[in-house]
Amino acid sequence: MGSPMPVTELARARELARGSLATLEANRRRIDDLNVYPVPDGDTGTNLTLTARAIVESLEASTAADRAAVAKELTRAALMGARGNSGVIFSQILRGAGEVLGEPGAIDATRIRRAFRGASDAAYRAVRRPVEGTMLSVIRELAEEAENPRHAALSPLELFRALVGRGEIALARTPEQLAVLREAGVVDAGGAGLLEIVRGISAALAGERPPDAPAEAAHEAGIDAIHQELSPFRYCTVFVVEGDELDAEALEEQLERLGDSLLVVGDSSALKIHVHTDEPGAALALATALGTIEGVEIANMHTQTEQRSERLLEARAPDLGLILETGVVAIVPGAGNRRLFESYGATRVIEGGQTMNPSTEDILGAIEATPATEVLVLPNNSNVILSAEQAAKLATKPVRVIPSRSVQAGLAAIVRYLPSLSAAENEAAMAEALAQVATGEVTIASRDVELDGVAVRKGSYLGLADGEAVASSPDFDEVAFAVVERLLGNGREVLTILTGADEPELARILDRLEQSHPQVELDVQPGGQPHYPLLLAAE
Amino acid sequence: MRLTNENTAVVMDSTADFPDAQERFPNLRVVPLYVSFGAETFRDYVELDPHTFYARLRSASATPTTSQPTPQDFLATYEELAGYERIYSLHISSRLSGTCGSASLAAQELGGDAVRLLDTESVSVGISMLALGIRRLLERGTSDAEIEALAASHRQRSGLLFTVDTLEFLARGGRIGRARALAGSLLHVKPILTIADGEVVPLTRVRGRGREKALQEFRRRFEAATTAADGLHVGIAHAEADDAVAQLRALVLDARPQTEIELVTSLGAVVGTHAGPGTIGFFWFQD
Repeated sequence: MGSPMPVTELARARELARGSLATLEANRRRIDDLNVYPVPDGDTGTNLTLTARAIVESLEASTAADRAAVAKELTRAALMGARGNSGVIFSQILRGAGEVLGEPGAIDATRIRRAFRGASDAAYRAVRRPVEGTMLSVIRELAEEAENPRHAALSPLELFRALVGRGEIALARTPEQLAVLREAGVVDAGGAGLLEIVRGISAALAGERPPDAPAEAAHEAGIDAIHQELSPFRYCTVFVVEGDELDAEALEEQLERLGDSLLVVGDSSALKIHVHTDEPGAALALATALGTIEGVEIANMHTQTEQRSERLLEARAPDLGLILETGVVAIVPGAGNRRLFESYGATRVIEGGQTMNPSTEDILGAIEATPATEVLVLPNNSNVILSAEQAAKLATKPVRVIPSRSVQAGLAAIVRYLPSLSAAENEAAMAEALAQVATGEVTIASRDVELDGVAVRKGSYLGLADGEAVASSPDFDEVAFAVVERLLGNGREVLTILTGADEPELARILDRLEQSHPQVELDVQPGGQPHYPLLLAAE
Repeated sequence: MRLTNENTAVVMDSTADFPDAQERFPNLRVVPLYVSFGAETFRDYVELDPHTFYARLRSASATPTTSQPTPQDFLATYEELAGYERIYSLHISSRLSGTCGSASLAAQELGGDAVRLLDTESVSVGISMLALGIRRLLERGTSDAEIEALAASHRQRSGLLFTVDTLEFLARGGRIGRARALAGSLLHVKPILTIADGEVVPLTRVRGRGREKALQEFRRRFEAATTAADGLHVGIAHAEADDAVAQLRALVLDARPQTEIELVTSLGAVVGTHAGPGTIGFFWFQD
């Protein structure tokens, strides 16, 4: 072996980004449960994590040769990957910091000080009406701390340690600054996320493993946090509009009439929009008039809030510091499906599935990060089973792969999961569930084909039951119903329907089901998976 | 000393859900716990029957709370039973309630060694079925050693399965035990629970809001844990789940036709406060 490779700017940026992502991951659920401001939609931790993940992924794929290029990519990745209010503000924090860090010359305490100032200023600019007691006041206090003259001679690591300390104080003060936090007995979720990001960078600078989630979660959401009012608007709407000479202010004014929690950030060639509204369609229409839109995400916040309430009610004191007997790593596409798996106790969820198979390394990383004696992996896709098995071989702890071939089959399996039982006991219960579940899908055919005697036309709906084509037609209801009919034989009593990212209209199918199968219990959940308008399971 | 139903009494607390014990058997007694809605306090069963309790629970703005009998309550009962030479005092698991502690203080206060305390490490029919078992021994004449042995085998050669509509009641009352691991269970899932080492322990979860899958799971586990031999006793308890009782009874008899279903009871206000409406479960003991 020769001397170690020189650490490139890109490699260093990757390390720091991974460090931040790791601390966010570890604290995501806790931060979700803190989320009461601006609306208690319970996804701040998730949003920040996904945003950080987008940045990490972009850096992993990057070939940027110098720091200016790295900073530019980082800024763009954050903007494109930003989720939710908190993610968008975070993207602006990074943008402000990136402008300073991209300049040539050594990165020392002086430079970091200027970067935090740039970050703070950019964040305040992004928000129409800045509110104290939020991510904004936390980033501002961090900037002030960095400007403390006593810190001028500190190394970057020493400075970051000082910043973590100040960040904790700033976070602890947020309930004093914002009444809604005080009433709910929580600190600000976005601020908590920001602190974890700074903590992650600090740990990465020190070459430490990312800190675990706190054993005694000091800022665990109390029962009061459940009773925060819902947002008056239903849909959290996020998208990017790209065009020439986009006028952020004009768009902002138009969007403001449609809802609240509005953020419009970016530059004249690309703007990221976040708005809570009852009319996501109208918001999108405003943007399509200006340019091309992409990265559209529309989430029903009322569902998110209800799920969060359930989580808080039924899980007042999750044993965060506990080493589980058995942990579960699940590979799941779609935010709704992710939440479902997490609600059933999945210890680590990897986004992935049909067209985005996670790597062996992704799965291995999740296995190693799972605080459990033994780990079960639910691949939830036949194309993922192999990499899961590879990861199982490489892992430093005992791993069993449960051969779940679809998300909905995996869901039937994880329902049986109990962290306190051994991996063998869990495996037996899950295998039993897999043997009993019948699964189906409705997808859109990508080409003309004859499948199991069913003539399939490109672009029409294709219904499958237990892997076999049962119907194909341009009529969605007809295909969906054919699949349901096939699945509900053999005295099955519970039908789970996971709706895809396009949120298909189900009212007619559900009405018809109630007529034809009044005894069947329906569980319809927004899964959010791509490519499959419906995933179905009957048990 | 030869113990019989004439010289030995059996005291239970009201979490045994055996309100007519004394009516049915002159040497049985039930000491009530208390349930409170705000400032109003009721003696379990005596002043608040299950049906009224669940009706009130539905309309109550705040959750009721429960409290154990005072030592004085037990003492009064023990004194009333002074004509008996031996008193077996059977109680709810000391990990679920301080009731056993109250009874213990009363026994010390009373002095002598007439009172024998038994922590059943169970609740509801898990307690009352032991009382009936002891009565059977007393019927033919028995000894302290035999009763102690019965109590021990009751803890070992028995089973208890129950399911709740929501874990909320167990969580609110702080009785959720290791079922806390079921964190975040959603609407369309039922937990299958038991009581082990005196606390609530989850066994698995099944799909569905309805009880079909839960009952199937009950059957599977009941069959696996029992044999076709005689001496199989079952008690069923439920909270406003009358329809499920008939199903559970049929299921038990279909799985093990020799079963003697000794008790079918409603969970009283105190146990109901912590389990919640919709709870159904059964206890079995194979002699």
